Amino acid sequence: MLNIFPTVQDTQPPAIEIKSLSKEYGRGQHVVQAVKNIHLTVPAGQVFGFLGANGAGKTTTIKMICGLITPTTGRICINGYDVARERAMVMRQIGAVLEGTRNIYWRLSAWQNLMYFGRLKGCPRKAMITRAERLLQELDLWDRRYDPVRLFSRGMQQKVAIACALITDPPIVLLDEPTLGLDIQAARTVKEWIARLVNEQGKTVILTTHQLDMAQELCHRVAIMRKGTLLADQPLAELLHLFRQEYYQIKVQGLLTHSLPEQYQNFTLKTDDTTTLLSGPVDQQSALYGLLSHVSQLGLPLISVERAEPNLEEVFVHLIETGRKEENDEKRTVGSLQ
Amino acid sequence: MRSALLALSNETYKRLLITWSYKFNILTQLVTVGLIFIGLSFLVQGGHFEPAQSASLLLGYVVWFYARIVIMSTSGDMMRETQAGTMEQMYMSPAPGWLLLLGRMFSLLVSTTILVLLPTAGLVLLLGIRIPLHWEGLPILLITLIGLFGFTLVLSGMALVFKQIDALADLVQNLLLFLTGSLLSIDHFPAWLATIARTLPITQGIEVLRQVMLNRQSLLSAWADGSLPWLLINSAIYVGVGWLIFKWCERFARHKGSLGQY
Repeated sequence: MLNIFPTVQDTQPPAIEIKSLSKEYGRGQHVVQAVKNIHLTVPAGQVFGFLGANGAGKTTTIKMICGLITPTTGRICINGYDVARERAMVMRQIGAVLEGTRNIYWRLSAWQNLMYFGRLKGCPRKAMITRAERLLQELDLWDRRYDPVRLFSRGMQQKVAIACALITDPPIVLLDEPTLGLDIQAARTVKEWIARLVNEQGKTVILTTHQLDMAQELCHRVAIMRKGTLLADQPLAELLHLFRQEYYQIKVQGLLTHSLPEQYQNFTLKTDDTTTLLSGPVDQQSALYGLLSHVSQLGLPLISVERAEPNLEEVFVHLIETGRKEENDEKRTVGSLQ
Repeated sequence: MRSALLALSNETYKRLLITWSYKFNILTQLVTVGLIFIGLSFLVQGGHFEPAQSASLLLGYVVWFYARIVIMSTSGDMMRETQAGTMEQMYMSPAPGWLLLLGRMFSLLVSTTILVLLPTAGLVLLLGIRIPLHWEGLPILLITLIGLFGFTLVLSGMALVFKQIDALADLVQNLLLFLTGSLLSIDHFPAWLATIARTLPITQGIEVLRQVMLNRQSLLSAWADGSLPWLLINSAIYVGVGWLIFKWCERFARHKGSLGQY
């Protein structure tokens, strides 16, 4: 793991604790390391964003938390219960909507699904019915509760899946790409619902998503993974603030038509009719002067240079790029030694 | 005990609801099964149809039909539930795995019994086939079905690991039709084939069932001639081996991460 950031202690006791977690698939020369020795602490009562490109190891980690995949090494505790040894107690702590378009029975109605999953997870009948009624009303599904789920829109189906995950009122909810394939309105409903789960009901939500704007809006803390490795695990505000120190916005007169030198490839360019705004990370002052010199040589008058707070997407891209560069450097070093 | 009953009723309720939602497909299947039986009766009886002689054939056919539905449902359900993501949700229940599996098996038994009784009653009424009803047949049928469910545990386990086992399940159920004495008593088989046939899941059950139901053999007599003990041993072996293979496959699937893959 690249220890880029110092770990910040959260005040609440952790909902999930992961220690030395690894997962390997295959054998011999065909071993794929899906998750590489990660340590993670998820505070209770927060939205925890689990971010990474496809194949980063997010879903594997989520499934190990759910007890669906056996780790190669390491230990996971959910509210103090060990996933490997106290499965029944762990399952009472979590509700999950896993990656994919389903999770529920399409041939059954929303009500039948809720009743089935409630009983499957050992929910007492009275509490289950009260909760099902409330969930269906809050998710605006009450009028269609007896319709087969297969007749619902994608957004409504996802709402039913979320309701089924919540039927036992678990303190921890795992949502693996819950807005994937949803239209804007449906995605907004899910997003608002996630915020309510945490703010009004005090639940812990583990969220994996590729929609970084949504993650930035919802998450208190984020972990970023790349190729099974944890690149960052920070409260979101601290993560963005840390990058503020090395993140600059340079505004110049005129339109930048030439591409930037390779060392500034992480910069984003926004242009309007008369100006160009360059935003990106600069790890050394000399690099900043180098960039200013470059735009000066292009004959573009400088308007302003500001230290700015990046958004989560920019931090994410920067971390992933840093990780990639370090991996390439390592490969080059190993290659030259051989 | 209460949680066990709850798991059994929950799975049964769900299965019956889903089965009912496919009612037109099932109705077509039942008609097909009835027509195949009539065709087979003519074939086995050399172009004639004698209701009196068809009782033995119907008994064997009914047990095979049980096996067919159970085998095809087991593989099909696993596939569908994996694709739907409901398989993973099921594994996230706090209930012990064996209880959930028992629930699935029990629900399959209930729904299959309904599906088997319908065409059987139809054929009995339509063709005038008389099958004497003796209580002794019930424990024999139950022991046979327990062995059959043990056998399907192997297929269920394989479905968790290999996923695409539909074709294999289809092959198995077709083999069972011809090799278990469902159509023709295994007494007519060559000795080597009869020996193999006796090791299959429903063969001995069909034989003992015919003896008890049609030839009025008592359970004591079936015990004394060794046919009932062999049925018990056969079923126990299938359940035991099936359970071990299923648990091994389940563990392997968790290691491989294939519970939710399809």
